[in-house]
Amino acid sequence: MLKTTSAVAGACLAGSRLGTAAVAPTARVAVARCSSYGAELLPTLSVMFDQLGGLGRIVKGKTVAIKVNLTGMPSYRVGYLPLGDTHYTSPQVIAATVHLMGKAGARRIRLLESPWSTADPVEEYLLQADWEPRDILSSAPNVEFENTNWLGSGKRYSRLVVPFGGYIFPAYDLNHSYEDCDVFVSLAKMKEHATAGITLSMKNCFGITPATIYGSGAGKDEPSDLPKGGRIFIHTGYRQPPKSAPSEKYPASPRQDGYRVPRVVVDLVAARPIDLAVVEGVKTITGGEGPWIRGVAPASPGVIVAGTNPVTTDAVCMAVMGFDPMADRGKAPFETCDSTLRLAEDVGIGTRDLSRIEIVGTSISEVMFGAAAHGRRKRP
Amino acid sequence: MDRERTPMRWPVEWRDPSALDALKDTVINCLLVERDAALDPVIARAGQEGIRVVRPGAPPAGVTVIEGEWPGVKLSESGTFDHAAAGPTGVPWIDSNGWKVRLTAALNPGTQVWVNAAPRKPRLSAESYATAVADAAAHGGRWIISLDDQLAAGISARTPEALGRWKRLTGAAGYFAGRNEWSHYVPEAVIGIISDFAGRNEFMSHELLNLVTRTNQQYRIIVKSAFSQSSLNGLRAVLYADEDAPDPGLRKQILEFVKAGGMLIAGPKWGGFPGTREPGGDHPRYVLMAYGKGRLAVATPDFEDPYVVANDSMVLISHRYELLRFWNGGAVGSYFTAAPDRKRALVQMLFYAFILGDNRPTVRVAGRYRTARLWTLDQPAPRVLDMEIEEDAVELHLPPVRGYAAAELEV
Repeated sequence: MLKTTSAVAGACLAGSRLGTAAVAPTARVAVARCSSYGAELLPTLSVMFDQLGGLGRIVKGKTVAIKVNLTGMPSYRVGYLPLGDTHYTSPQVIAATVHLMGKAGARRIRLLESPWSTADPVEEYLLQADWEPRDILSSAPNVEFENTNWLGSGKRYSRLVVPFGGYIFPAYDLNHSYEDCDVFVSLAKMKEHATAGITLSMKNCFGITPATIYGSGAGKDEPSDLPKGGRIFIHTGYRQPPKSAPSEKYPASPRQDGYRVPRVVVDLVAARPIDLAVVEGVKTITGGEGPWIRGVAPASPGVIVAGTNPVTTDAVCMAVMGFDPMADRGKAPFETCDSTLRLAEDVGIGTRDLSRIEIVGTSISEVMFGAAAHGRRKRP
Repeated sequence: MDRERTPMRWPVEWRDPSALDALKDTVINCLLVERDAALDPVIARAGQEGIRVVRPGAPPAGVTVIEGEWPGVKLSESGTFDHAAAGPTGVPWIDSNGWKVRLTAALNPGTQVWVNAAPRKPRLSAESYATAVADAAAHGGRWIISLDDQLAAGISARTPEALGRWKRLTGAAGYFAGRNEWSHYVPEAVIGIISDFAGRNEFMSHELLNLVTRTNQQYRIIVKSAFSQSSLNGLRAVLYADEDAPDPGLRKQILEFVKAGGMLIAGPKWGGFPGTREPGGDHPRYVLMAYGKGRLAVATPDFEDPYVVANDSMVLISHRYELLRFWNGGAVGSYFTAAPDRKRALVQMLFYAFILGDNRPTVRVAGRYRTARLWTLDQPAPRVLDMEIEEDAVELHLPPVRGYAAAELEV
């Protein structure tokens, strides 16, 4: 159940470790080979969702919110490649997932993203990426986009409380769409990340924070009307959100992005639990999360991973990428940051221990690709 | 229009007439020389060599001089270079004189527009000078070539480094002087910006041009007094920028345009609006109405922030209809024109910043084209461009380019 201030006021447990690796829940993870965004995509996803117990069980009659990953401005490509082939969740994967959810009886499907520094409709953002939003909107009944980088169509921001008390913030003020849904899906790209080591289903949720509150152009007392700038102060902690939003719990904690970003991600995933995690690595990049990272390279791993627990799903993704999901700070891909998986496991969201995770479909060894072999990249 | 004059502000330190030798093999043919008796020998020899000499405040007939900015990415006070890198998540501010050149030409038909923009640093790169030339010339104007003190001294002393920069600068000037036919091309546009561009409308209308330019939305300048039936041909939208309501004739023609499928974006003082409110057409700053086959977008408060108006106009019209779309262009400016017979089109691009890494630029050009060639200032001949054909557009994959490039397309 989603916890908002009205529901669980005072329920915060002030940063205590509620869970341990031994008791963190596990869930099945489906892995599939999918070498292209062509005809094989839809049946592949369909089989994967069946392997997880069927989409109908999750979405039938429900309002489904899907957070996609459209990081960075749409005007940046890796070389001449389309954005969906590199660092954005592929439009074909989005459309296919939406289609299957519609078929499974979803009542309403909202596609959510907080595009870089704009309150423009997501559809306009997609057009700049050279995508056709109608292809996605028409893939099922009652599909809509919402830009969650600001208040959007809501009347007020929703305050979502972090049930375990929060690592950085006790609660987050978010666009209403993250509260006004029955099912929350993270539809992510399989990538490394310069700050957080990896960006999978959990890190994708960093982008649910509105820049009107968590962006560098946020107001001092109240959210700004329009989003301006990125979420650099979540990275560095150089300032606080507006007074209207919950303040940091420990202002004396490290002001380092490698410390803060993984913790904020776990806070968010706890506050807005992920009901279905889908991470596509049909085509992607290695070495970082976007073209602004020096040395990123296109890759075609031809793999999709899905699960109902984001930690187990991300753990399998890490293994597919050639990383050890049990790695902690200092070990690849977490050389300069804490492990989001470890932090999530510590608060009982899910296990990262592969020996406790049931994997269905294709085995990890069959789809493992060498993201780890490319080495870590640095921001310019 | 005679665009063949290439002006240069003569450095006051160049008092020896032999300094005119630097102009050999260049297209510079008009000098702006200060009133200084010590420069009389220079003026005399320039006359003998057929080079026109004028005073800085007295340009030749048919020329309008505008005050411009040094074009490029605006640096903060800490900036130490005359160039900057474009990042992935921020758009740097660009100073460009292109919109001013176009506006001046629209307000003064038949005039040649010269841009007076002095170098703003003690030393500028060859790249920066070439950009100064291209920024004005790509839009149909001419930059009054003006040298920084170090470059002027270096050319006098014939240092190889200075001569290299001089060659690059004059090469860029020569490039544009040799393409006079492009000056007859007409702007391709999605939106028309209508104003008298004067008086109390000056700030908003000028800033709108400045800011719409930055979005790379292709626009047509429509001067109210020169409005005709054909002013709206081919446009998807018009932005009425003025505070006062249009006269009945203009109003009628614009509404006819809307009725036929166009869009009008206007402030509340435009007057009464026909049409019916669009269901679900919520916008924080506009009321959206349907009228005939078209749409009206009426700002609820008056236009206040031109930046917001310019960006809103992009979304109100929709990026779907943009004529040019860039990837990896960094701080890019553009001007899209077509030959009068529409068999050829020209996309002139100004890259004001370095582009990070090996991310090569791509430009998507709306329309159906068969071939594309790329012109750059450092190559005497065009190169065939790698082109990806889409349904109603082509994607041009550019090699790494710096400063300026022009894609010439054929239908």
